[in-house]
Amino acid sequence: MKLLTCPMNGPRNIDEFQSFGPVRARPDPNATADKEWSRHLFRAENRKGIVLEWWRHVPSNYFFLAERDLVSNEIIRTFDASQLRDRA
Amino acid sequence: MAAGTATHVYPFMPGGAADDAKLVSGAAVLSDLTDRPRFGLKGGGSAAWLAARGIPLPAVNRIGDHRGMRILRLGNEDILLLAESAAETLAQVKTAWQTTAAPKGYSSWREEGWAWMRLSGPRLAEVMGALCALDLRPGKFGDDDIAQTRVGHIEAVTFRSPAGFDILFDITASAYFARAVAAVAVHTDQYKG
Repeated sequence: MKLLTCPMNGPRNIDEFQSFGPVRARPDPNATADKEWSRHLFRAENRKGIVLEWWRHVPSNYFFLAERDLVSNEIIRTFDASQLRDRA
Repeated sequence: MAAGTATHVYPFMPGGAADDAKLVSGAAVLSDLTDRPRFGLKGGGSAAWLAARGIPLPAVNRIGDHRGMRILRLGNEDILLLAESAAETLAQVKTAWQTTAAPKGYSSWREEGWAWMRLSGPRLAEVMGALCALDLRPGKFGDDDIAQTRVGHIEAVTFRSPAGFDILFDITASAYFARAVAAVAVHTDQYKG
């Protein structure tokens, strides 16, 4: 059983979670051409390294962030989204 | 059948899927509290409104008490009041909430959205252990702790009650849950360790 540590609920079976994909900057609707929009919406990055992703703990409907290694699939850390806002 | 059946699941919809579902008794006893009063608030302003009414709010995933009600903090702005034997107090809170102007959160409609069941019985620990992957032993999971997790493979909120464990979950899964608990109880009865 793979475990993921929810910042609010603690370590849980990863089956209790849903992934919402990488944190990405939203394109400016007034300054983005159709081609860039299309790329943003339909094409996924496929690189190596560390990704910052949105996850949801389904039973509590709690959204949080996780850093994951794209090569080893190791989850490096999980934290509340407010920490990202505080850092920015 | 080793574990006999006692009463029925509260039929939210007469003639619906849960109408003939029975509650197990024996190694585990399942009772249905779905018709007991409760009130849930969710969204911005919920916590502030309750605090302004003098209702003390516990930390997230903890349970507090106020005038016979149990106050479950399921999130910063997701609070559930259970009033198994404090219907009048709860009715006062609901009336006050309905007559107050926003911001006050919104009703999360727990009265109709969630089933409320209680699991007890002589082999409660084994049966709960088979239903839920979390370590719920007394030293690890206290009287005022809440676990938002899976119980019987469905999303649920569980916590201790004097009789055993209370479990709240989507009411549409009532019949499924009653059957899942019965299956585990029968299995526990058959394989006495």
